Amino acid sequence: MTGDRYPEADALAQRGHWDDATRRVILDRVYNVPDFRHFDDHARATLEALCARVIPQDHRPPARRVPIAPWIDERCDSTDIGGTRFDDMPDERMAWGLGLRGLDETALILRSASFVELDATGQDAVLLAVRAGQPAGRIWREMPAGRWWIHIALQAICGIYYSHPTAWDEIGFGGPAYPRGYTALNFGAPEPWEAEEVSG
Amino acid sequence: MKLHVHLSPNWVLDTDMREYRPADEVDFCIVGTGAGGGVLAQRLASFGFSVVALEAGPWHDSETDMVSDEAGSGPLFWDELRITGGTDPLDFGANNSGRGVGGSTVHYAAFCPRLHPSDFRVRSLDGVAVDWPISYDDLEPYYERMEREYPVSGPAHFPWGRPHGYPYAPIQAGTAGQMLLKGCDALGIQAVAGGPVAIPAGRVGQRPHCIMRGFCLLGCKVGAKSSTLVSHIPDAIADGAEIRTGALAHEIPVDAAGRVTGVRYYRTRSDGRRIEEVQRARAVIVAGYAVETPRLLLESASARFPDGLANSSGTVGRFLMAQAGPVVWGRFPGPIRQYKAPPACATTEEFYETDPANDFVRGYALQTVSPLPIAMAHLISGEDGGFGEDLVRAMREYNHYAAIGVLGEILPAETNTVTLHPTEKDRFGLPAPYARFSLGDNDRRMMAAGVDRATAVLQAAGATEVHAVDRYAHLVGTARMGITPDDSVVDRWCRSWDVPNLLVCDGSVLPTQGSANPALTISALAARTADWLRRAVPAGALAHRPAGPAAVEV
Repeated sequence: MTGDRYPEADALAQRGHWDDATRRVILDRVYNVPDFRHFDDHARATLEALCARVIPQDHRPPARRVPIAPWIDERCDSTDIGGTRFDDMPDERMAWGLGLRGLDETALILRSASFVELDATGQDAVLLAVRAGQPAGRIWREMPAGRWWIHIALQAICGIYYSHPTAWDEIGFGGPAYPRGYTALNFGAPEPWEAEEVSG
Repeated sequence: MKLHVHLSPNWVLDTDMREYRPADEVDFCIVGTGAGGGVLAQRLASFGFSVVALEAGPWHDSETDMVSDEAGSGPLFWDELRITGGTDPLDFGANNSGRGVGGSTVHYAAFCPRLHPSDFRVRSLDGVAVDWPISYDDLEPYYERMEREYPVSGPAHFPWGRPHGYPYAPIQAGTAGQMLLKGCDALGIQAVAGGPVAIPAGRVGQRPHCIMRGFCLLGCKVGAKSSTLVSHIPDAIADGAEIRTGALAHEIPVDAAGRVTGVRYYRTRSDGRRIEEVQRARAVIVAGYAVETPRLLLESASARFPDGLANSSGTVGRFLMAQAGPVVWGRFPGPIRQYKAPPACATTEEFYETDPANDFVRGYALQTVSPLPIAMAHLISGEDGGFGEDLVRAMREYNHYAAIGVLGEILPAETNTVTLHPTEKDRFGLPAPYARFSLGDNDRRMMAAGVDRATAVLQAAGATEVHAVDRYAHLVGTARMGITPDDSVVDRWCRSWDVPNLLVCDGSVLPTQGSANPALTISALAARTADWLRRAVPAGALAHRPAGPAAVEV
């Protein structure tokens, strides 16, 4: 982990400057994290382990970590899954269920343990095999692993993490700028209310 | 019906909208309210026709329904089930079509270049695809009108295609746009900043000017960016058109004489209950964009039209095109903060035309794109599936990236199609649309050249590392206009060859797409079709089918 680039950043502290509709959506995201309803305990643990390898947050105390898995569970619990579906893929809910079982299959073949039982190095070995597109396991012969990795797993995990003010603080994005807008447009300058970057 | 919809913080569409009963036979029922349908509704109502426009989605109130938040903006997008395949399947994602009044103009970047004169004659000039049944000269007066009505900001002198200037001054470019200019300048490539983009650099009517928030792709809460929601729909309502929201069209019925009689749709009422109604109409105009338009025509198959409505040529759903849209981003030593200022702010069309030195025909434009954090994370993770510390570290450089979009012309192929999926159904129980898309060799070579050029521009501007991901944008071509009924769906007035009182007027009528974002062209075609209808309807032209190539102008 390299050093914190924006130590002064605190997008959430700017909430008084946001419009009501935006504030409602973001505070709901931060403070009303859904309970798990869809996945069983083992699938939930696998999902949480996956999220922790895609976006490592060990450097944060547990209470400061951005919750990711609960939102995926909620999405899979929804009865209404539309959007784009590749013709070689099952629907998103089924793809998540299959993919999590696929991680276990590959883990058992590669390392003789389930995915959650592996250490970080072992888990990364499994994920690297999935990313490469030809992981061991029966499930991955039915569902293209590369497609699952980019369009299901990374799509959801990145989308959830970078929707959170804690992630914005990490990358120096100041959060909603309505209604006040931006006035500092040149030389990549921050607004007076945005955090300065420190070298690191 | 009483409307109370914020179009900007201080502008409320607070009016009694005229309402028709489904049994009322209106002059026109329009399906869709985007760049095509919104302009048609305004034009036809102002000419005194009775108009009902069906919109599957809701009104998006700028104060309560639009949010200044990337993940919270999902309701703006068409997110019904679509199945995608082919060797290069299109990931429709969120942003390819809109749901709600204004259609995808609510969340387009608002880049509004014109096509070039050569785009209408690619068969004659380059020996590929087809010529249009109309020329640039036919569309030019409508481009000029739309540039005033949207309106469009841009340079006083735009040097490409047929050179022209813009009615509003350029908007200010952010640092990302300045990097495109800097890189192009270093390489001796002419480029422009501040447009053409449909964000007026000044107050227009009740629309305030831009606050540089950079959220164009997620709905403009400010009301500064043009969309038909703020540019044409309010006038359509003032002139007596009804915009019927929550109305998903799924069949266009025909009578024994082979004429359409209206539009059948599912309507979700405010209590959540779904009902089915038929709006009767003397003529129907389909403006649902390049996936939903062919889908509706194919769903309307009947004993008389067993292969789908308006499909005697077999071309409904064929020649699906997306524009190539690879995103190329560079990391700069200094800060960029690309999320500031409208993403559409600088461009070059220097590589738009066929160049004999290339190993491909036609070309591409380079445009700023400026992804917000989630979009950036999807680009980075999509490049090679990287994760963990690599991904987080790359995203920590967010404020140091400037991105350029290659917008390139993919040639029409008969095998790129939208059909009805044989087994998959959407949540209405209707067959899901199935899009199959595969690149041709010319397309691949053009895209590779575009990525190389964008890479060179970023490096010349000072980028120390450059990455690229192939993407696609803008769906057109699945109900194309043509010169003969044998190889096209509509004639040069966007009128079905097969059905006397049916028109299609949206991106799906484009025979080819050029390297220009399609919204302005779609609106210009809609305004031109409306002018024709103003003359043609009283003259009885919709009583019979178009006569074919020798058709005489009304």
